[in-house]
Amino acid sequence: MSDQPARLRLHDLQLAQGNRTVLEHIDGEFRDGAITALIGANGTGKSTLIQGIMGMLKPIAGRVECRVPKERRAWLPQQLALDLTFPMSVEELVMTGSWPSHGAFKGYCAAHYRRGREIMARLGISHLAHRPLGELSGGQRQRALLGRTLMQEATLLLLDEPFANVDAETVDVLMTVLRDMAKQGATIIVVLHDMEQLSRLADEAVVLSGGHARWVPVESFEHPDGNLPAPFLTQTISGVSAC
Amino acid sequence: MLAVLLASLHDWLVAPFDYGFMRRALVASLALSLAAPPMGVFLVLRGMSLIGDAMAHAILPGVALGFLFAGFSLPMMSLGGILSGLLVAVLAGSVSQMSGQREDAAMASFFLISLAAGVMIISLGGSSVDLTHVLFGSVLAVNTTALVLIASISSLIVVILAVIFRTLVVECLDPLFLRGQGVRGSLVHGVFLGLVVLNLTAGFQTLGTLMAVGLMMLPATAARFWSKRLEGLIVVAIGIALVASTGGLLLSYHFSIPSGPSIILLAGVGYIVSALFGSHHSLRERLLRRASPLGTPESH
Repeated sequence: MSDQPARLRLHDLQLAQGNRTVLEHIDGEFRDGAITALIGANGTGKSTLIQGIMGMLKPIAGRVECRVPKERRAWLPQQLALDLTFPMSVEELVMTGSWPSHGAFKGYCAAHYRRGREIMARLGISHLAHRPLGELSGGQRQRALLGRTLMQEATLLLLDEPFANVDAETVDVLMTVLRDMAKQGATIIVVLHDMEQLSRLADEAVVLSGGHARWVPVESFEHPDGNLPAPFLTQTISGVSAC
Repeated sequence: MLAVLLASLHDWLVAPFDYGFMRRALVASLALSLAAPPMGVFLVLRGMSLIGDAMAHAILPGVALGFLFAGFSLPMMSLGGILSGLLVAVLAGSVSQMSGQREDAAMASFFLISLAAGVMIISLGGSSVDLTHVLFGSVLAVNTTALVLIASISSLIVVILAVIFRTLVVECLDPLFLRGQGVRGSLVHGVFLGLVVLNLTAGFQTLGTLMAVGLMMLPATAARFWSKRLEGLIVVAIGIALVASTGGLLLSYHFSIPSGPSIILLAGVGYIVSALFGSHHSLRERLLRRASPLGTPESH
C-alpha cells in the first residue's frame, strides 16, 4: 500500500489462556487495505489471537501495536454476545454502530438515518429494517451485524468464522462488502476454515500451528492442478472440518 | 338517569380526592408509576427480574437503622435505605467477582441476611405496628415532606435513566460491542442498580419495602404481552402502573383495605389479564394463532 508501517503489527507477542500459553513469538504485520485469512486447526489459538488484538486479553510478553482508535475496531465473534431476545429491530441495531460519532447522548439526524438505510440496502436487508432481531435467520443476522460495522466506519475488522451457518447468497454479499471495505483501506482479518472461501476472499493468510504463526501468500493454497491446498498445508489444515 | 350515573361516577372516582391525604397519596403513587416501570422493563430484559426483590430486602436494614435513630423520619429512613441497598449491591457484586459465584447467588445470600437484620433492628426499637408500616407502607399517611422526597427521587430517576438510556440499551443488547467502544459495562450496570435502589427507597414510604418492587415488576412483566418494542414496553408498563395506582387507591378508600396491597394486586390483575388476552405470546394469541400469508406487507 504505502511506505508507512501497517496500522496493526505484532511484536514478539505471547498470549495465554489462564496459565496455558497458546501462542508465542508472534511477529508480523497485517497489511492495511488487505483481507488476511487466519487459519489453523481447532485449538491453535485463532480466537485467542483475535482477543489479543482487540485488547480483551493482556499479552504475557510482547505487544500489539494498533494504531486504529478503539471505536473504529469491530469484532464479530463466533459466540455472539448479542441478546437476541432484546426488543430491537434491524435498523436500530445498525444505528447503534454510530456510537463512535454519536456516543451515548447525541441524537441521530436525518442524514444519519439515511446512511443507515443506504447500508441496509447495500447488504440487501432493507425489507427487514423493522424486523425484530430474534426473528432473523443466521445469514440475515450476519448481514445486520456487518451493517453495524459499516455504520461504525470500522477500519479494523475481525471476523471469527463469519460464513458459518450462512447461505451462499449471503456469503456473496458479505464478501463483496468486505472487499469494498478493504479497498477503502480497512484492515480485515477473517478466521476461515473453507479453502474455497479463502481463495475467493483473502489477499494473504496467516497459518497458526504449534503455537506459532506463519505468514503465507494466498497463492500457496491453490494447487497448480486445481483448487486443492498445496501439500505443505495439508497437514496444517487437516482435522479442520469444512464449513 | 344520566345525572345519577354521573353523580355516582363522581362519588366513586373524584370525590375521594377531595381529601388532602388522598390527593397526596395519588400524586406520590403517580410519580412512582412514572419512574418504577421503566426500571422494571430493563430488569426483565436483562433477566434480572428477581434482583428487584432482592434489592427491596436489602434496603430494609438501613431503613430500620434510620428509624431506630431518628424515629419516623422519612429522609433519614430513605438515606439509610439507599446506603444499605448500595452496600449490598456492591458486596454482592464483589463477592461474586472474587469467588466466581454467580451474582444472583451472592445477592440471594445478602438479601436474606439483610431481611433478618432489618426485622431484628425494627423489633429492637419499635412495636409490630412499626414493622408492618415499614414492610407494607401506608400510602395514606404521606405528608408533604414525603411527597417532595418521592417526587424528587422519581424525577431524578427519570432524568438519569434518560441520560444513560442509549448506553443501557446497547449494554443489554451487546455488552461486547460496548466494551469494544471503551465503555465499562460494569459502570453502567452499577448506575442501573443504584437507580433500582433509589426507586425502591422512594417507594417504601407509600408501598412498603416489600411492595415497592411490585410497582416496578408487575407492569413490566405485563407489558411483555402487549409490545415487542422497547418504547412500547415502557409506555404500556407506565400506563398499567398509573391505572393500578389510581385504581388501587380508590379501592383502598372505598373498601377500607390497605392501599399498598390493593395497588399491587390491581397491577397483578393487569398482569394476569395481559397473560390471558395480550397481543403477544398470550393465551388468547396462542389459541387464535394464524400466520399471515406470504407477500403480506409487514406490520411495524
